[in-house]
Amino acid sequence: MGTLVSLVPLLIHWISYTSAIYVFQDSYVIDKFSIILKGLFIIITYITFLLSINFIESDKYYQGEYYFLLLSSLLGALVICSSRDLLTIFIGIELASTPMFLLSGWKKGDRKSNEGAIKFFLLGVLSASLILYGFSLLYGLTGNLLFNEISKQILTSSLENSPVVLLSAVLVISGLGFKVSTVPFHSWAPDTYEGAPLPVTAYLSVSSKAAGFVALILLMTSVYGISGSSWGIILFLVAGMTMTLGNLVALQQSNPVRLLAYSSIAQAGFIISPIAVSGITGNYEDGIFASVTYLIIYAFMNLGAFLCVQVLIRFTGSEDIYKWSGVAKSSPFIGVLTTLFFFSLAGVPPLGGWFAKFVVFRSLLGSGQTIGVILGIVGAVNAVISLVYYARISKIIWMDEQVQEYSEKNMLIENPIKVVGLITVFITVLSGIFPGIFSNLGDIASTFLNN
Amino acid sequence: MEILSNGLGLSAVVFLPIISALLILFIPKPYESVIKGVALLSSVVTFILSILVLLEFDFSKASQLQLGSKATWIESINANYEIGIDGISLPLLVLSTFISVLAIIYSLEHLPEPKSPKGFLALILVLETGMNGTFVALDLILFFVFFEIVLLPMYFMIGIWGDKTIRSVSGLKKEIETRLYASIKFFVFTLFGSAFMLLGFLGLYYRGNKTFSIPELIEIGSTGAFTGTFATLVFAVLFLGFAVKVPMWPLHTWLPDAHTAAPTVGSVLLAAILLKLGSYGFIRIAIPILPEQAKAWAPAIAILSAIGIIYGSLACLAQTDLKRLIAFSSVGHMGFVMLGIASLTSVGINAAIIGMVAHGVITGLLFFLTGSMSHTYHTRDMGRLGGNMKLLPKTGALLGFTAMASLGLPGLAGFWGEFMALLGAYNPLQGLNIVIFRSSMVAGAIGTVLTAGYLLWMLQRVNLGEPADEWKDKELHDADNYELAAWIPLVILTVLIGIFPKLIFGATNDAVVDLIFKAFGG
Repeated sequence: MGTLVSLVPLLIHWISYTSAIYVFQDSYVIDKFSIILKGLFIIITYITFLLSINFIESDKYYQGEYYFLLLSSLLGALVICSSRDLLTIFIGIELASTPMFLLSGWKKGDRKSNEGAIKFFLLGVLSASLILYGFSLLYGLTGNLLFNEISKQILTSSLENSPVVLLSAVLVISGLGFKVSTVPFHSWAPDTYEGAPLPVTAYLSVSSKAAGFVALILLMTSVYGISGSSWGIILFLVAGMTMTLGNLVALQQSNPVRLLAYSSIAQAGFIISPIAVSGITGNYEDGIFASVTYLIIYAFMNLGAFLCVQVLIRFTGSEDIYKWSGVAKSSPFIGVLTTLFFFSLAGVPPLGGWFAKFVVFRSLLGSGQTIGVILGIVGAVNAVISLVYYARISKIIWMDEQVQEYSEKNMLIENPIKVVGLITVFITVLSGIFPGIFSNLGDIASTFLNN
Repeated sequence: MEILSNGLGLSAVVFLPIISALLILFIPKPYESVIKGVALLSSVVTFILSILVLLEFDFSKASQLQLGSKATWIESINANYEIGIDGISLPLLVLSTFISVLAIIYSLEHLPEPKSPKGFLALILVLETGMNGTFVALDLILFFVFFEIVLLPMYFMIGIWGDKTIRSVSGLKKEIETRLYASIKFFVFTLFGSAFMLLGFLGLYYRGNKTFSIPELIEIGSTGAFTGTFATLVFAVLFLGFAVKVPMWPLHTWLPDAHTAAPTVGSVLLAAILLKLGSYGFIRIAIPILPEQAKAWAPAIAILSAIGIIYGSLACLAQTDLKRLIAFSSVGHMGFVMLGIASLTSVGINAAIIGMVAHGVITGLLFFLTGSMSHTYHTRDMGRLGGNMKLLPKTGALLGFTAMASLGLPGLAGFWGEFMALLGAYNPLQGLNIVIFRSSMVAGAIGTVLTAGYLLWMLQRVNLGEPADEWKDKELHDADNYELAAWIPLVILTVLIGIFPKLIFGATNDAVVDLIFKAFGG
């Protein structure tokens, strides 16, 4: 409940918004970009709570700590949105991800959970040190922590193409690459996702990831923005590889959580593509618009997909999608939801995912660069590949013969889950039919550079 | 009527079905008759609305877009809700609402297994929204969304209610049920085409004043604004998107599988309407916006169409499966439609549109008939059928009639499309390679002979002769009233269009002449 209450000051800020408010010597700012993304994070976390209620109760683990840790992570994400200096954003990033190390190992007795958590922890710490090292290079070069000042310094001393700045950018891309699981830093994701409790996985793949993207967007555009032509090509390669590899591996998965893990890796490739190309052209507004719009729509459809997986695993008692055959006939409600979310992830109109993909293609082709067109073609091919595994779930639950009998009693869906399902499906469908609402948010968010 | 002229009428034609589909989802399963009632009512009302639109349509200005409206839809990318109809889309829109009514009437009594009227009828209605929407959309993004809406319902229609026989597929280790293979193949093929088509739309958007509006893009395109490699690439991706849907040889391979595996109503809707979305895309978008590229590509399209015609007919001659034969015949018939379009003349494009309507009516009926027969006989193997005239006189008579219509008998609807497409190909637009077109025409003419050949042979094997022993003692049900209610209107339409082709040309001709004039000058 408290989480929802925290939306109130945000709304007040939104309504009474006149211009960006700077506090703490300009290192913390409240502008429309931050308000929109904070709203997103708060809603995601709230949805995660709703998903968790029954899940955590049934586990008999420590409930208090669970919620405390999630809220800490939320705080980190909120700090990221507003931070405009290197130190604040680093604190935000770490605050957002440290609680997740603990949460991903929540199922103490489970070896997979332990393995996933250790992997996540080790790589997480490594990535933190990479980011920090990247930051320290910048600080050494410019003697400043504020984004604006750094980028001014780089410009005045014409260091745009300096190898040090590039090295620093590459380190930050790698460090954040772990957080958002881009190739080649993605290997922790499937194991950690599989081991963690499902609501935590949902949070990891939506909120943690979004936090990483917000940090990436902020840093790449407002700190490294002027030297975009040098890191743009690196990010371009990362984006192309991420979506292709994620999709190809997802084709082989039979575990639904691993499937979603790889699918969210592939989606990450789509989210960073506009940033990569806008780095090359220097027209960041278009890139931010596409990425933020994608992020908002992705958040809801992916949460919905995790919800369906959580419910279906409970119904069928199996973590093998091939054993889910025909289950939708016994529970059409969850069957329809699953279908909508997965086809939305695949980008089939009229569900939200199509618009997310569309704005990405739009910013890629709009760049007028050959590189953008190439990435657009790679993306189009990937969208078709991804359809195969997204459609496979629907095929199994609707079209295959039912192999086991499901009793009515087991098929009950708890109310919180039902509410989440309806909210997320509503947003997923709405964002497909009236994408204007969400693209306006993306549009507004993209103007923050002008402040 | 005020209410029709401001675009509300067209919007209702598009959205009424999907709203009813949502309504149906909230009706509990046991109330089957309520579900059926809602579905029938909404499709009939939609049809009546489309007829009102037809009456309101000003035929003296058929070349202009009418009864439309424009409203902001997605502001940040300048995509609008822009709709309207002209003489080209009007016949197709009415055909779509008409066939949907018949499909629902047929489904009232003849639901495929597993019987679940709720899901099945809701899917038909969603499908109808996609089809109607595509024909009225005047904004590329709107067009794209409607074009794609049809995928999901058709995927599920084939996948859940389709043919359950097990078959082996080369390249797959395990054997797989036909419906599962066909449904995903259909989906992947079409999505592949349309993903690239979307990139093409975006290309037009950026080069054409950042607008997605089709009429505006046509204005820009007819001044020759799109040229060079850019235009070639855009036409190539649009071609890919539309040609998969038509389907043109060699992108047709999803079609026989999907048609054969789909439940009866699914194949009817696929053949009658869905295939037309592709050829309509050529006429509405690809040719007027990129006329120079269309000219450059026309010979290639003509050759592919000619191959499609010959290939489709030869494939038909090799079939033993009745439904698959009809499916392959669609490849040939759509080849004629595309040949007409490729000629880039008003004769050819008129031929294409009447060919589309005629194919919708005739092949739709053929799929109804074969679907019903395979339900009665529990087989589609033509080797086992025979003497159908004696066993099922009504169905047999209709099958004979429809096969005659399909082979292009003068006096029936199928004749005009084929005949005029050949005429168009004989005398294509000035500047097009005459040798290629005349050879395509000869190939097409040979195709008509082959078409007659396989259809007559089919009739001989299925309809004539003595019934095989296995059917002698069985009680076989001939067409019932629901079936006849769905079929007779199609028969009447076939005859009417055959005798009065002006029913179609009256609407299309001005629009087509205007299109050709704008795109290619006098």
